[in-house]
Amino acid sequence: MLVLFALLLSVFFVLPKQSRSLLQNIGKPLAQIVAFPLGALAALDRSLQEAWSGYVALRRVYDENRRLRREIEFLRGQNSELREVATASQRLGALIGFKERTLSQTVAAQIIGRDATNWYRGVVLNKGERDGIRAEMGVITLAGVVGRVVKANASSAVVLLVTDPNNAVTGLIQRTRDEGIVEGTAQGLARMKYIPLLSTVRVGDTVVTSGLTGGFPRGLVIGAITNIEKVEGDLFQSAEIVPEVDFLKLEEVLVITAPRPLDESGPDAGSLPAKPSKKR
Amino acid sequence: MKQMLYAGLVFGLVPVQTTVLHYASIGGMRPDLCLVTACLVGFLAGEFEGMMLGLALGFMQDLFSAGELWLNMVTKGSIGLLAGLAGRYLANATPVAMLATMLGLSILSGTVFLVSVRTGQGLADAFLAVRSVMLPQAVLDAAVGVGVYWLIVSRGRPDQATQEKTSPLW
Repeated sequence: MLVLFALLLSVFFVLPKQSRSLLQNIGKPLAQIVAFPLGALAALDRSLQEAWSGYVALRRVYDENRRLRREIEFLRGQNSELREVATASQRLGALIGFKERTLSQTVAAQIIGRDATNWYRGVVLNKGERDGIRAEMGVITLAGVVGRVVKANASSAVVLLVTDPNNAVTGLIQRTRDEGIVEGTAQGLARMKYIPLLSTVRVGDTVVTSGLTGGFPRGLVIGAITNIEKVEGDLFQSAEIVPEVDFLKLEEVLVITAPRPLDESGPDAGSLPAKPSKKR
Repeated sequence: MKQMLYAGLVFGLVPVQTTVLHYASIGGMRPDLCLVTACLVGFLAGEFEGMMLGLALGFMQDLFSAGELWLNMVTKGSIGLLAGLAGRYLANATPVAMLATMLGLSILSGTVFLVSVRTGQGLADAFLAVRSVMLPQAVLDAAVGVGVYWLIVSRGRPDQATQEKTSPLW
């Protein structure tokens, strides 16, 4: 049996691509089967949470509070988008700025679970390949960037949060226009690396997506800089970022299926993002 | 009956792990039910069943985790196998022995994850991961494992299970 197990192990290391695709093919129908109990348990979990927080913490006040919080998140996001548009307008002119910032195609999804291990900061969505979700797509809320899809099954997908140390997104400091790489940290925050030494970055600056990596369009809020690290002799400086999204209270997200609109001549082209369309 | 139970575990444990287990989390850490199950089955029913169930549970876990598709499968399979070997050679399968086995295997699993997931992020981050993920996880797994083991022992199952250990080592 040990020999068999060793053989199995050696197959994974000798033929990583082939074994991965084989596992993917085996895994898809199995994931479909698991989707039923997963959905049922997620619904149970959601209803338990709603019952608890709704009745115990005065339902009406809670609902109003939640609505207002969402509105604040939406307005924050819009505020940041507006700032971004203003900056882009100064540099490139209004037309190009608007074109770059037009609404992306998104699919709304609910969070039905957390990563199956404690080693990754990830969430499981209730939508998958059947809804057009693929690996490497960006995931956002109205407040900002959440993470990217790393696995997609037929009816579920796994998202790696932007605070996971294995995640990296290209970022842009909104005020100074300096680019860098935003990675998660072990403490559950994010860190922007490779900021040029001559950058005038300061605490409080907002970091947005640069649009260089596939999953995200330019200008989505990642977070605010809270600490800057400059080590003597280093070629770059780095900055600690507190993400704009509250990952503990995530319920619904938007998956960006196309960072640029497919039909740029559509009615929304060139306009500021309103509440994105929710396909359910 | 046993096959039904194993099928139920394979298809039911991961949904529980991902959805409702946060109610049982301590400081954001959830026990790894798949690891505990693979370990218990290996310990009580032998290394073959432990390994097979570990492989299946690990694979299902991989489908709903951000890591590589083989990582949990190989880890949980190994843990089922090692727990089976430990159960075979331990003369007295007391809860203390179970605690030590579970703690050791969880730390071993954590080390595999640490090496494969957190490499290249600096020594300080690795120590932080040991302190904040690996050790609390091991303690939690061992506590849950011993609790379940005690429940099984109190119902008199292990003797029966030990007698069923007929799978050959080689």
